[in-house]
Amino acid sequence: MFEFFLKRKLVRVAPALILVSTFLSTAPLAQASTPPTRIISLSPSATEILFGIGAGSQVIAVDDNSDYPTNAPFSKLSSFTPNVEAIAAYHPDLVVLQSSATGAANVQAQLLKLKINVFLEVTPNNITDAYAEFVALGKATGHPSRALALVASMKSQIAEIIAKYRKKSPVSIYHELDNTLYSADSSTFIGQIYSDFNFANIADAASGADSGGYPQLTPEAVIKANPKVIFLDDAPYGESSSTVASRPGWSGISAVKYKHVITLPLDIPDRWGPRMVDFYRFIGQATAKIN
Amino acid sequence: MSIVITDLTVRYGDKVVLDDISLDIADGKWTCLVGPNGAGKTTFLKVLLGMAPYSGSIQDQGVEVFKSHHRNVAFVPQHPQIPQGMTVAEYVMLGRSKRDGWGNESLTSRSYVHKVLTETHLFGMQNNLVAQLSGGEMQRALIARALAQEPELILLDEPTSALDLHHQISVLNNIELLKDGGVTVISTMHDLTLAAMFAERIVVLQGGKILLSGDSQQVIHSPELKRAYDNRIDVYTLDSGRPVVVASKDRDN
Amino acid sequence: MSTEHGAIARIWNWRITAFCALILFLVALAAVSFGPISISFIKVFKTLFDLPGGSTGLDRTVIMQLRLPRVVLGILVGSALATSGAVYQTVFHNPLADPYLLGAASGAGLGATIAITSTHHNLAGALPIFAFAGGVLAVLTSFFISGKFFADPNSLLLSGIAVGSFATAIQTYLQQRHSAALRPVYSWILGDLTNANWSVVAWSSIYIAIALIVLFMVAKQLDGLMLSDEEAYSLGINPKKLRIIAVAAATLATATAVSASGLIGFVGIVVPHLVRGLTHRVTNRSLITIAMAGAAFLVLADLGARTLLSPAELPIGVITAFVGAPFFLVVLRNRRKVSQ
Repeated sequence: MFEFFLKRKLVRVAPALILVSTFLSTAPLAQASTPPTRIISLSPSATEILFGIGAGSQVIAVDDNSDYPTNAPFSKLSSFTPNVEAIAAYHPDLVVLQSSATGAANVQAQLLKLKINVFLEVTPNNITDAYAEFVALGKATGHPSRALALVASMKSQIAEIIAKYRKKSPVSIYHELDNTLYSADSSTFIGQIYSDFNFANIADAASGADSGGYPQLTPEAVIKANPKVIFLDDAPYGESSSTVASRPGWSGISAVKYKHVITLPLDIPDRWGPRMVDFYRFIGQATAKIN
Repeated sequence: MSIVITDLTVRYGDKVVLDDISLDIADGKWTCLVGPNGAGKTTFLKVLLGMAPYSGSIQDQGVEVFKSHHRNVAFVPQHPQIPQGMTVAEYVMLGRSKRDGWGNESLTSRSYVHKVLTETHLFGMQNNLVAQLSGGEMQRALIARALAQEPELILLDEPTSALDLHHQISVLNNIELLKDGGVTVISTMHDLTLAAMFAERIVVLQGGKILLSGDSQQVIHSPELKRAYDNRIDVYTLDSGRPVVVASKDRDN
Repeated sequence: MSTEHGAIARIWNWRITAFCALILFLVALAAVSFGPISISFIKVFKTLFDLPGGSTGLDRTVIMQLRLPRVVLGILVGSALATSGAVYQTVFHNPLADPYLLGAASGAGLGATIAITSTHHNLAGALPIFAFAGGVLAVLTSFFISGKFFADPNSLLLSGIAVGSFATAIQTYLQQRHSAALRPVYSWILGDLTNANWSVVAWSSIYIAIALIVLFMVAKQLDGLMLSDEEAYSLGINPKKLRIIAVAAATLATATAVSASGLIGFVGIVVPHLVRGLTHRVTNRSLITIAMAGAAFLVLADLGARTLLSPAELPIGVITAFVGAPFFLVVLRNRRKVSQ
């Protein structure tokens, strides 16, 4: 039971994991006196952010889940189960560590014992928190103004996209995490993106079922809610508009009938880096004609 | 070890299992407890093992038996718990724990076990697993362990019930040897013939009370014995003088 | 084992224990010497024993602050689990008993889940305490439910299963309602020694040491528990009291191990059989040897956990299962051959 559930859900859940351990240092890092020149990133989103704010040349290794930008120095270091010794072998002067990694508190403590600075990345709940991470990373790596500029640029681009594509009246949507109908409600990061477009998320009705924002819906509930758009986050696991249409009772759902079942691109929805703009644009364009 | 039991009563909840038992167990003699199931025989043994709370007194030469620490009572159960993977030598060695302490493997200990294994004809099997012994061999192993204890008193719960005739006799012969060595023997038995054959004294229990106790020949031929078994037994005497007790069918009476 | 004239051979030889101690020492030394950062064996040895010429700086910190506490924790947890497993197997007359019987594992898991899913500040730092309390409470509940405090082994086992199932059900429910807790709980369940540091070693060593000392002290008498209660009484022990003491100490050791390192499986079942199978003896005087064998086993498994897939960590429970299962089969097969 466990393995199946986790494989599907966790990779998807990564971007919006709610803060689990508040006892970890909340301030990621004080501003370094001289910028670090040997940075290791153990977070795919942080990797994208670092390269986006101009710190790419200071990065000596990124984790095994990072895949963008394509010229990043990929390594076998694990983001989920960091091995302190392996990290130390690179002699870094700054490690960007996810607070959701296994034993993050201990990894941080051990790295500090080895006199290696740690930037503790807390998974953002919303886009404001994400921007805050851009700025913090900018300060930590010696590119404060570039970070601010990037944030400003993203804000204005996203505002433009929303202005152009936001629905005048709410359009009901269903975001699917896997074929057992786990969904994401409006409290999640992706849920808030949907809210920006004035989509009505059918999972909100079930939000009490999971404090993390990922309730499991029943097929009847989805059919009854009759969403106009279905976003598929489980395409890598074999789901597509045809498999959805073949589910018993689903062919009558508005999204299926009018062919508004949209397959989401890989990875981008899971990350909170500069490509968030691309995601907003994708959603806007894909749903442009739907009312 | 001679035991004087006075007004022994054992209760389990509301049920009285042994009711005001008074009895003398003679030192160095073999006493056999007989009686139908549920008469309290096994409970009596448990009391002598220190397992059952009781009221009344149990004394050895004036000293309350359970207050003195020198009691060495060996127990041969009807259904032993057979440890997996243990060799016969190890099993018999457990008996030395009373005299030498647990886990003591002094020369004394190991010599005594050697002696006992030889006496019970188990020496050649000392490295066999206890779990693989036949019924008769298992019984010998139990006797061997009891012997290794050098006990003052040995309790045997139905020592012959699971054995074939041949083994029944050899086990009882072994126990007789024990007794001749000075150990007091108390056994429970269903088989009245064998009881009469080997035990010097017989105690008849019924419903937690002593119905009859005394010299085994006298008890065997007594009318009370027949009554204890609902008159369903017949006692015959062989030419040699040995009594034989057989069950009788209700319809023939 | 030589036979003196007129005496049987010794059943248990303390040379076996000494040999096992040597193995443990060598294994521990090897474990501290290996890792992603290569440090020469000589330097490691000198650093450990404070001889001149030892490592300094980063290398020294790696040896003394990263590797050594992890190896020491492995020794503590491995010996705790192996010893508890052996004791439970004796008390319950069950060769498949493991230290997580009586609901200890499920109780600890529930405690850990409550700690992780709770939104109260600082609660995650209290995870070991919650896991420990959960494990101990589950065992106490098993005793309580089974009716009498001096309960017989079989009814205790059944109530342990009931308590364990109940705790697991609550845990599953909590996890479903708090999906964010899934990964931390799952990786905790798989067990790991990555959280090893000297303060964890400090508190866990106290409880495990107490528990093990108690068990070693009663080890010889535990042989009496392999017989029926009546037989045990005749041999001079009180089996009911002894069972309580043994189970209490074993539970203390297990609960401490679990709160320090999560649920590491197989050590508790396999290691006792390994030692008994190799020595052809089932006496509980082997308990010290079993403890050391468990320690060596876990330290080796942990070495694998942090080097096989380097730089990622392999969950240690996967290794103990992979290594434990075939070993177990081999030992079983040999025992069957012997008995035929």
